[in-house]
Amino acid sequence: MREFAKQWNKNKYPYMFIAPAVLLLVVFSIIPIIIALVISFTNMDLIGLADYSNIRGVGLDNYINIFKDPVFLKSLFNTFIYVIVGVPLVVICAMAVALLLNYGTSWLFKTFRVIYYMPSITNIVAVAVVWGYLYNGSYGLFNYMLSWFGIPAQQWLQDPTLAKFSLILLALWKAIGLNMIIFLAALQGIPRSYYEAAEIDGATGWKKLRYITIPLLSFATFFVTITTLIGWIQFFEEPFVMTKGGPLNATMSLALFIYNNGFKLSNFGYAASGSFVLFVIIILATIVQFAVRKKEVEY
Amino acid sequence: MKKKTWGIMFATLMAFSLVLAGCGSNNSNSGSGSSKTLKVWFMGTSDTVTPITKMYEEQNPGVKVEVQAIPWDSAHDKLLTAVASQNGPDVVQMGTTWVPEFAAAGALADLAPYIEKYPNLKAENFYDGAVQTGQYDGKTVGIPWYVETRSLFYRTDLLGDVGYPEGPKTWDELKDASQKLVAKGGAGHYAITIDGKDQITAAIFAWQNGIDFIDDQGQPHFNDPKYVEAIDYMKSFFDEKLTPVGTDLDGVAAFKDGTIPMFISGPWMIQTIKDKDPEIDGKWTVTTLPAKENNDSSIGGSDLSIFNYSKNKDEAAKFISFMSDKEAQLKYYETSNSLPALKTAWDDQAFQDPMIAAFGKQLETARPAPQIKEWETIAQAQIASFEQISIGGADTQTEMDKLNDKAKEILAK
Repeated sequence: MREFAKQWNKNKYPYMFIAPAVLLLVVFSIIPIIIALVISFTNMDLIGLADYSNIRGVGLDNYINIFKDPVFLKSLFNTFIYVIVGVPLVVICAMAVALLLNYGTSWLFKTFRVIYYMPSITNIVAVAVVWGYLYNGSYGLFNYMLSWFGIPAQQWLQDPTLAKFSLILLALWKAIGLNMIIFLAALQGIPRSYYEAAEIDGATGWKKLRYITIPLLSFATFFVTITTLIGWIQFFEEPFVMTKGGPLNATMSLALFIYNNGFKLSNFGYAASGSFVLFVIIILATIVQFAVRKKEVEY
Repeated sequence: MKKKTWGIMFATLMAFSLVLAGCGSNNSNSGSGSSKTLKVWFMGTSDTVTPITKMYEEQNPGVKVEVQAIPWDSAHDKLLTAVASQNGPDVVQMGTTWVPEFAAAGALADLAPYIEKYPNLKAENFYDGAVQTGQYDGKTVGIPWYVETRSLFYRTDLLGDVGYPEGPKTWDELKDASQKLVAKGGAGHYAITIDGKDQITAAIFAWQNGIDFIDDQGQPHFNDPKYVEAIDYMKSFFDEKLTPVGTDLDGVAAFKDGTIPMFISGPWMIQTIKDKDPEIDGKWTVTTLPAKENNDSSIGGSDLSIFNYSKNKDEAAKFISFMSDKEAQLKYYETSNSLPALKTAWDDQAFQDPMIAAFGKQLETARPAPQIKEWETIAQAQIASFEQISIGGADTQTEMDKLNDKAKEILAK
């Protein structure tokens, strides 16, 4: 005991420094996760919320039922589509924009940085109103532009297949800005001397991009991929404000499914089990990312 | 997992929620001595109710009414939080469809003792349908505050052209008028909107066909031939392109240019149309819904309830009694255009207007959504089924059999 106190006294300062952060993490992340896990094994609903004595454990029922729920399976499938289409698009587009903006430093380039970044800081509800009008089947700008080429009007948000891609387009537009900033920062960190050395060896622009820039961006790419991946697995705001998961649940995402069950239908136990499935999917996806990651490039 | 671990986890959960509940519980009941504060939650904007609460404060010196306005979108979440923390307002405005859910959770006080004390709260003062919305499990937990119902808005000029200047009176006439309107209007013209995303739309058509789809014993009848017939009737409007499938048409603009000359909606649309489409003044009106076996419509609106965790229940009841006064009800109509639930208020000059009077007439046969706590879940399933039928092209009978099984399952829980 004395030994422990001595040890503690000696090492207390680092713990004191991390204590506030750890405390916040425990109170606002770890404990809620544990609570959600507990709730996911119960039939908790509004009646249970008002009086805890009405809560009954249901074992694995919620988990079994959720995998029989066609809406959940549909949302799982939709989320999968969102991820495999959305993530590569965001990474490629954000990197392309960053590379282009990195060519110059004149006012024009600076202005465009602002323009590309703007969607990231715009309120989603305002965005939804504007894009709602762009997508409008009768008065929308997109259909008007299609009419120039004689293409018939599309039901952007009413057609089950198209609606999914309409939402991806919107989310892509919103996601580019932030990731572009990360890529830009990484680009600025690549020393000029590498390019100079390559130029002396007669490397062309394409080769410099292929053998210097992209490999040296690998860490930024990794970071962007992971954060974007997690973001798209939790895809929520866009379907929530634009389509409410419709038509025919074609845009329902996992997060929206959980929200609907938890807050609209007050099935907290069922929603909690859904959120655990989501949690596990995110953990797995992240582990896979770490596993397939190539060795860090260093010159 | 071992039993002991379970116990510990559950204890942690409890302890944590107690801490959270404790955080907020100090600020309630700040009233001491002569000055009392009454916390009131309203949905929507506060400027419609503050003139009335000011009147109450003037009549009851020493009482301060603290009004909090909650947007409808977030109201349900906010009420959930209030129930979880057992700390909310004294008086709360409840959307009629939420009453069973919150009453089942024990969040709403039984009002029977107060109804004896305040004659204003007696059931016979209000429309029958509205009174039913405040009942749960044989108890009165809500006093009707304002009501709304759905009626038919139509363009008198365009309907006159196809032979229905008084509006269609029956389902057959509605169908006939619709077909003629579309035939006359040509491409891009529709007859009527049917809002499949509104949980009450299918219910209205079913009631009109004489089917009570959840009976008194709590048994669903969604696959009853009459319910199926009602759904098929609605579906035919989509199939024959009398109703637009996409819902992103601006209804107000379409009503003005005549591309959608009829729609079913509530009293709030009267002012909207007057404000936005002044060009067609005098060319449109409101009438009761077309009938099949009857022309029942739905009744909605809001009730006033006392939160069970309130410490000011007597004062709260007094406040609700005041809100049920004719004077307060008329004032609220003036500030918000919401129709009064109090029958005697309808004698006022303001309700002689034929459009409002049509809603008054419709209210006499208006029925509330089933007063069961599972209704929201079933309503969502019903919306999804109708979407499968009207957009997804599913077979009506098969889909309704599925819906009925699902409803049975939900009700059996």
